[in-house]
Amino acid sequence: MTLPALEDIAAHRGSADPIPGLTRIETSPREKATPVIMEMIHAVYPHEQVFGDYCTVNDFIDCPPDELFDYLSDTRCLEEWTYSLRGFTPTDEQGLWLAYDRLGNETEIYTRTVANRDARTVDYHCAWDQGRHLWMIYLMRVVDAQVVFDKPGSVVLWTNCHHPFYDDNPYPEAAPPQRPVWVGDFWDMFGAGHLLELKNLKAIAEYRHRNGLPITPGWMR
Amino acid sequence: MSATPPPVSLVDVATYLPEKRVPAQWYRRYSDEGDHLRDNPMFRPPDFRHHAAADESNVDMIERAAAALVARHGPDALAGVDVLLTHSQLPDLPIVGAGGEVAHRLGIAPEWIIDVHNGGCAAFVLMLKLARQLLAGGTARTALIAVAQNAAGKIFTQGQVRTLAQAAVPGDGAAVGLVALSEESPVLDVECRNYGNNAVDMTLAADPPRRWWEAGPGEGYVGFNEGKIIKVLARGNRQVPEVVRAVCERIGVKPGDLDLLVTNQPNRLLLRNWNEALGISPERHRDTFGECGNLFAAAIPVNFEAAVADGQIGAGDIVMMAGFAHAGDFAAAAAVQWGGRRK
Repeated sequence: MTLPALEDIAAHRGSADPIPGLTRIETSPREKATPVIMEMIHAVYPHEQVFGDYCTVNDFIDCPPDELFDYLSDTRCLEEWTYSLRGFTPTDEQGLWLAYDRLGNETEIYTRTVANRDARTVDYHCAWDQGRHLWMIYLMRVVDAQVVFDKPGSVVLWTNCHHPFYDDNPYPEAAPPQRPVWVGDFWDMFGAGHLLELKNLKAIAEYRHRNGLPITPGWMR
Repeated sequence: MSATPPPVSLVDVATYLPEKRVPAQWYRRYSDEGDHLRDNPMFRPPDFRHHAAADESNVDMIERAAAALVARHGPDALAGVDVLLTHSQLPDLPIVGAGGEVAHRLGIAPEWIIDVHNGGCAAFVLMLKLARQLLAGGTARTALIAVAQNAAGKIFTQGQVRTLAQAAVPGDGAAVGLVALSEESPVLDVECRNYGNNAVDMTLAADPPRRWWEAGPGEGYVGFNEGKIIKVLARGNRQVPEVVRAVCERIGVKPGDLDLLVTNQPNRLLLRNWNEALGISPERHRDTFGECGNLFAAAIPVNFEAAVADGQIGAGDIVMMAGFAHAGDFAAAAAVQWGGRRK
């Protein structure tokens, strides 16, 4: 017994033919779908195709997922594992932090962390120069490695989307005068840069876990 | 103290394609609608392939390829051959290889006759390495390396097998290479890698199942299901660029600067993926897939011959020959600085 899947679309279109772009076994049986999939498999992929619109990096970290989630949920952890964000201080606005991104010559960066313990998602909503419109979103998720790799530890999934503001600074008036760079200039480095930062996170969390130190250090408590 | 080994050259290559040229149409008549691999790009049929006659042996085909070499270089071309290496994709007899009979037919008396059964679609490179080693070691001066593939006109035209999508892909052909101690067309470097853990994935199947040597109603075919095809594709994607890069690094040539790449040609997908991975334009990655189909071990020399014959490459050009075998149990690459063809 199958469910009435896509019944509304069929009724709306007045036809049971699939809408364009849909590949389901009923209308694309395996012998039709397999060649399509095979064609999509290449030995190498251009950087733009892999990191153009979405920048995703992942890694395994040998420490308990809940403890890693707690650490990541505190915005100040970015002072430790990011490459260049330093000097986090609270602002007048609840939950909004100010720091400096040393990539941009004393550029201000504002961060608000939105975390969900049940899903173990930690999203850093950030922006350079101003804290009114936080458009640089770092989407992270901590997964229990026991479930996905059959071993203790954490898997961290991390994606950024290529927001149009990366290409064009919407608030130039907020930028320090004569700053030669814009955060989006670095977009093509994000794959490598974020992986480097994820390795920082791994090194720090694994060191603490291995040596019996709390993952979230005393100064953040 | 080690002396520099004397240079070994691939002096020339000659090929043979059976006269019978079979269009894709021939298979469509028999196509079995139930075959799930039908539309799979791994088995999308080439426009043509050549079929050896049912009674045309590997020895016959090698003899015909060697005749082309003799026609070009004169009756004494093979006189000094003291190493004969042969590779038959589908041996004429499982018990005895082609080497002895080939030597007899060609009227040569090499000290070394070796039937090279491994190496699969990259056997030509393996044999080049073997010949180079024997010659550089001082035990011999001239080697004839010979590959033959005649399974297309035999296995893949049988009543049951020809209904399968895989049957339209193989083609028959043979080639010989003359290898000698000389500086004229030097083999610059060779890389051979074995992946024995993948050897078990090469299987022959029959319905109902039986051992290949047992009698039974089902005709034998290559037992690759979709899962295995994807695995083998992924191995080919990885292995061939790896061995090419290894040779390129040692000879100090960037893959993209190679004058010619010739590989085995299992399907269009791998050809595309290899030139993408190595940054080589499709024009400089010469293939004969559309005309000849999957030539197995004969593909590398046949594709090379095609590029020589129409002047795509000339004296001094760097040619990379590369391929992988079976379900990914072996991969090899060899670079040759082509000396040109004597007129």
